[in-house]
Amino acid sequence: MRFLGQSATAKDISPRSPRSIFSTERLIWLLLTTAAIAGSLFLAGYGQRSLINWGGWPQFWQFVQASLHPELDPVFLRLMGKATLITLAYAVCGTGLSLSLGLLAGILASAVWWRTLWPRWANLAQPAWLTVRAALSIPRAIHELIWGLFFLSILGLDPLVAVLAIAVPFSAIVAKVFSEILDETPSEPLQALVNTGTPPLSAFLYGLLPQALPNLLSYSFYRFECSLRSAAVLGVIGAGGLGYQILLSLQSLRYEELWTGFYALILLNGAVDTWSGLLRRKMGFTSRLDLSTGQPRNPAAQAIARDSASSRVEHPSTAYWVRFSLAGIACAIPLCFWSLRLDWTHLWSDRTGMLLRDILTQAQPGIVTIEQVRSLADLTAQTLAMSVLAMVMAGLGGVVFSFLAAQTFWLPGGILYPIGQHQRGSVGAWSLLGTSRLVLLVSRAVPTPIWALVFLYILFPGILPGAIALGLHNLGILGRLMAEVNENLEDEPVRSLRSLGASGLQTILYGFLPQNLPRFTAYSLYRWEVCLRETVIVGLVGAGGLGRLIAEQLSSFDYGGLVVTLSVFIGLTFVADLISAAMRRAVR
Amino acid sequence: MRHPSPLFELKQVSCRFNQVAALSQISLRIYPGERIALVGPSGAGKSTLLSLLNGTLAPSQGQVWVMGQNLAQARATSRRRVQRQIGMVYQQHHLIRNLAVIHNVNAGHLGYWPLWKAAWSLVWPLQVDQAAAALAQVGIADKLYARTDRLSGGQQQRVALARVLVQNPAVILADEPIASVDPERSRDIMDLLRHLSDTTGKTLVISLHEVDFARSHCDRVIGLREGKLRFDCPVSAASDSLFRDLYALSGEPQAVELR
Repeated sequence: MRFLGQSATAKDISPRSPRSIFSTERLIWLLLTTAAIAGSLFLAGYGQRSLINWGGWPQFWQFVQASLHPELDPVFLRLMGKATLITLAYAVCGTGLSLSLGLLAGILASAVWWRTLWPRWANLAQPAWLTVRAALSIPRAIHELIWGLFFLSILGLDPLVAVLAIAVPFSAIVAKVFSEILDETPSEPLQALVNTGTPPLSAFLYGLLPQALPNLLSYSFYRFECSLRSAAVLGVIGAGGLGYQILLSLQSLRYEELWTGFYALILLNGAVDTWSGLLRRKMGFTSRLDLSTGQPRNPAAQAIARDSASSRVEHPSTAYWVRFSLAGIACAIPLCFWSLRLDWTHLWSDRTGMLLRDILTQAQPGIVTIEQVRSLADLTAQTLAMSVLAMVMAGLGGVVFSFLAAQTFWLPGGILYPIGQHQRGSVGAWSLLGTSRLVLLVSRAVPTPIWALVFLYILFPGILPGAIALGLHNLGILGRLMAEVNENLEDEPVRSLRSLGASGLQTILYGFLPQNLPRFTAYSLYRWEVCLRETVIVGLVGAGGLGRLIAEQLSSFDYGGLVVTLSVFIGLTFVADLISAAMRRAVR
Repeated sequence: MRHPSPLFELKQVSCRFNQVAALSQISLRIYPGERIALVGPSGAGKSTLLSLLNGTLAPSQGQVWVMGQNLAQARATSRRRVQRQIGMVYQQHHLIRNLAVIHNVNAGHLGYWPLWKAAWSLVWPLQVDQAAAALAQVGIADKLYARTDRLSGGQQQRVALARVLVQNPAVILADEPIASVDPERSRDIMDLLRHLSDTTGKTLVISLHEVDFARSHCDRVIGLREGKLRFDCPVSAASDSLFRDLYALSGEPQAVELR
């Protein structure tokens, strides 16, 4: 046996003290997070005043009981059916617009585009794409609900409001993610084409886009799910559709009608999420999470995927099914645009121009007094606290649900069973899976402001009901995505743990969490950014924070003050994005 | 017999990445129709040399002339015109994995096709007969519409060769084309390259580690080590001891014998 100069190192293997997995950097972040959570609980009034309103329980109970007998009057059902279709049409049109605009902007915001087209001006390429990215961050920082209120005030009650309110911020989000996907797609094939004298545009089209397409499509379907939820929320501010009907029923305390609306939303969301999830899986797409955490894909996993792919038999019905879906999408987009009867001329009509001028002239921020600064600081702290509590709830809950709702886990044939063992009828496992998935579906299908109003029955007003509503809604989204991650985990390492006798929980500890926890943390941090933006929504129904001030200023036409508040809010989201990015680097 | 004008000419070329010298003071000429084996241990600068030859890398010092042009100073269009005369084969293939084989083969046309034609071909493949003929020549005629990532490594290397056939360049540069295939497939691929050179007079520059293949398939050997030209001679003049010295493990940590 030959060793290369290693005899001396044998001494170094003498006993060592165990080393913590926490680097100093991680430890600091952990302490800061703990402090942030404690501070948020303090701001929410925890331990200082009673938080639960026992007087509201009878009404809450009424509300819960109504779930068993929703309003099924045919006239009302027809109304709800129409409202459901309107919400769906908003989502389809909003997604269609944001994807086409986002693709264009995303290409311009990608480093690889500038590198390929202008290889000689490498020094200028970086400022170019950085400029595009910076320009995109402004529409992205403003929540679609605020866009909705803005369009509402210049366009009036018009279906354009909902479509534009989705399209503007979502285009910017799509552009950011698409540019990241393009930059993370292996560029060697592109480079190989350029090296043999291919013009850059052809090389980009031929060498890069086809490879990026699965990920671009996968993200597009996910965006559609998001659009649908936004369309429901936009109804709440009066843009019509299911959200609007639900709000009307809630305000007039007609709980039976309210539940009809809930069930319609749950059915619609469930159908769309299932369809989109199936489509992504059938087309063999990677998880949405891999894109957002930016972790390099595992070459070994790719090799395994390639080997199994070569032996995989393409089921003909699968291909038909995918084609059928794509054809359906191609038909649905023009149909939805037509059914909403969008009148684009409203955008440049005299009335719109006049209202826009009015707002712009009034939107001169006045001098900010010290008192205003103090109140803004208070509200900023409240907003932060609300987002932190929501993130913790959604993140922790999401991890728990990611195991309960993962298909590859408890079910027969799953990871806890030997390969090839497919015994039938384990009712317990199936009902556990079904229940947890239903909980997640309901949590994310019901819009956040509606959750907030429901929690206001049993909680005193403040940031807690807002935080819980936000946390619950985001738990529904996170739990599902994390479950997908668990399902997509390579199962060889986990199975090898099982084969050496590890129990179910041990498998989670040694097999799942080490591989997935960094992703889970990263994704929770992303959700924190989203939660922070969404505090506006619950603010609108009175849950406090900057959102509440924005709502007040909007309803009193105080556009000068609104500009100040929005600037503070945008500044806050930027800072939060920076913190989140730093923390994600630390956990990677 | 030597042709008067060389395809490639390197004049006192050095390449530095930050402080590390990848190549230093290399001068050589490559003439049409030559079959050159580029040998040397890992990190010797073989890939750097190939990148210089196909114009993806500009030298830190010296000049690289390719087909009568100094590529570092050429305009983008004229550089591309030279580059499409140079076919590349890589160890990692660099194919577009999720496209059908036909599109990867057709990528050989891209230097000549306008953008609209490239776009249309992705929807409705053009020049299918030529692609099929190229695939038949490399022995995988039946894979025309298969997805590239469903093929084995050896088959993917053949697709890359078929692409070069379609591109029909004057020179083929191959960067360790047989480093990750088994001996039988290595011989196949080397035979194919040699056959191409024999039948169409294409110039070959192949970097490899297999001395036997260098002897059997090439007619000139260039030995590189630590960025320096160690030898450049006809295959017949390259002795075993020359190769042994080139690959010797001197300077590595002392080997310790343990029983």
